[in-house]
Amino acid sequence: MIRKKILLLGDFSVGKTSLVKRYIDSTFDDKYLTTIGVKISKKHLSIKGVDCELLIWDVEGSTPSKKISLGYYRGASGAIFVSDLTRRETVEGLEAHKEIFLSENPDAKFVVAHNKSDMLSDIAKERMNVDENTFLTSAKNDENVEALFIRLMENMLS
Amino acid sequence: MKNIQIILNAILSKDIFEYILVDRSFKIVSTSSGLGKYLETVPKKGDDVLEYCPEFFGSEKEIKKIFDNKSMAYVLESVHKKDYYVNLSLEYYDEDRVLILLHNITDTTLTQQKLLQFSNESILLNNTLQKILDSQNAILFVTHNNEISYTNDQFMKYFDMKKILDMKRKNLKIYEYLDESLEGYDALFERVNSKEEYVTINKDTFILKATWIESTHKLFTLTKITKLTDNMQRDTLTGVYKKSYFNTRIEKMISNNEEVVVVVIDIDDFKAVNDTFGHQAGDDVLKEFSTLIRNNIRADDVFARWGGEEFLLLFQHANMENALKKVEHIRTLVAEHNFKHVGHMTASFGLTGKNESDTIHTLLQRADKALYEAKKSGKNCVKFKNL
Repeated sequence: MIRKKILLLGDFSVGKTSLVKRYIDSTFDDKYLTTIGVKISKKHLSIKGVDCELLIWDVEGSTPSKKISLGYYRGASGAIFVSDLTRRETVEGLEAHKEIFLSENPDAKFVVAHNKSDMLSDIAKERMNVDENTFLTSAKNDENVEALFIRLMENMLS
Repeated sequence: MKNIQIILNAILSKDIFEYILVDRSFKIVSTSSGLGKYLETVPKKGDDVLEYCPEFFGSEKEIKKIFDNKSMAYVLESVHKKDYYVNLSLEYYDEDRVLILLHNITDTTLTQQKLLQFSNESILLNNTLQKILDSQNAILFVTHNNEISYTNDQFMKYFDMKKILDMKRKNLKIYEYLDESLEGYDALFERVNSKEEYVTINKDTFILKATWIESTHKLFTLTKITKLTDNMQRDTLTGVYKKSYFNTRIEKMISNNEEVVVVVIDIDDFKAVNDTFGHQAGDDVLKEFSTLIRNNIRADDVFARWGGEEFLLLFQHANMENALKKVEHIRTLVAEHNFKHVGHMTASFGLTGKNESDTIHTLLQRADKALYEAKKSGKNCVKFKNL
């Protein structure tokens, strides 16, 4: 079995924990509860006949006054960078998260989740620039959540 | 070793530490009895520690170094395990074993989480309020001692600034745009508090309002109305300014004792165009004539339609010699222009400059006399009436 460590990174309150809960437990809670530290979840999946185990690190969001401990990044093979589509600054802030993560793990793969897409109109969604590694996700409506994790795993196996 | 002994004693006496001893192949050698509360299943001797502590996956190389180096340690803080928060630390026990300590920090972490939750919610609320403020008109917030303490995004963008300090760097004094004699924000407030004022900044017109905030701070709002007022001030046929706007501008220049040159312009034999080609052709000539002149004057010159085929031109900060050259150039352009429908046309021009006792009336009267002389001299010429 192939085991991979991945991190969810992004500003606070973008919905990282909600994405993990949707993917692992198929649940969603609208109430915002700040994550502190890190919580690790496991998920077994099969990609093209290969048994895999994802170790998903749900890391607390960074705030203007609190940055993420670099110790969490050690040994990661991939990352999901998460933004909140309703807060432009969280989308713009993704580049800084990518830069820090990739400087610690230069060979790691990543995908991007622009989350809370349920709050966008269809027209606004169409205007968004997405590529094969960028997803408009909604933990609330279970939109593109599984596809996001599977794409990252595929990228890490390729 | 002494430290570890102390910690192990603490483990026995309190409920805040649990431990796991692992060998070089990460197999569990022994654990403390209370470890189960942090794990889904109770580990057994010989189990792979990574099954119970996946936090160490990816860090195996670093951990192995601890077996050979007593001074090394590995720490992972605030890890959520089951219903608890723990700090995980690994340190040398002996050459074959590493001690993993799980330090229960749940109480302090939950307190920190409450504070962080409150802080994050405050930041979110603050960001939302900031976005609301930024979406409004330009805002300037001034303290009791006339320090600028806040400007919103609209204000910053308009004045091409990134931070409040840039105002000092640019020596930007909003009150001087309304009246150069105003000496500060207190004076501006006195002026604007009772009634809103129109203020022109660069090429834009704003409604300026002032409000007290908590009796100590002054809030100024600038509402841009340039497009609205500009449309209202323009002649619908030709798109040039109306006489009323011309009057407003010239009055301000007279009161500021600025250098002014006024030109009255009349299209020669315009009546014949209407009579021969019809009024539609006449309107087209007026539009074409206006465009021709607008394209050949400076942005801060004022070009207006007085009525019929008569126009006004106002040169700011121009001396008479340069103004005469400019008007002569315009006269030539008009005379050489081939008007649609009607071919060549000419215009006559009367100029004058401002003296200290001038009013709008005396200025226009003198320019009109110069125009009369141009007409009497055979049209298609520029005449100047002395101060």
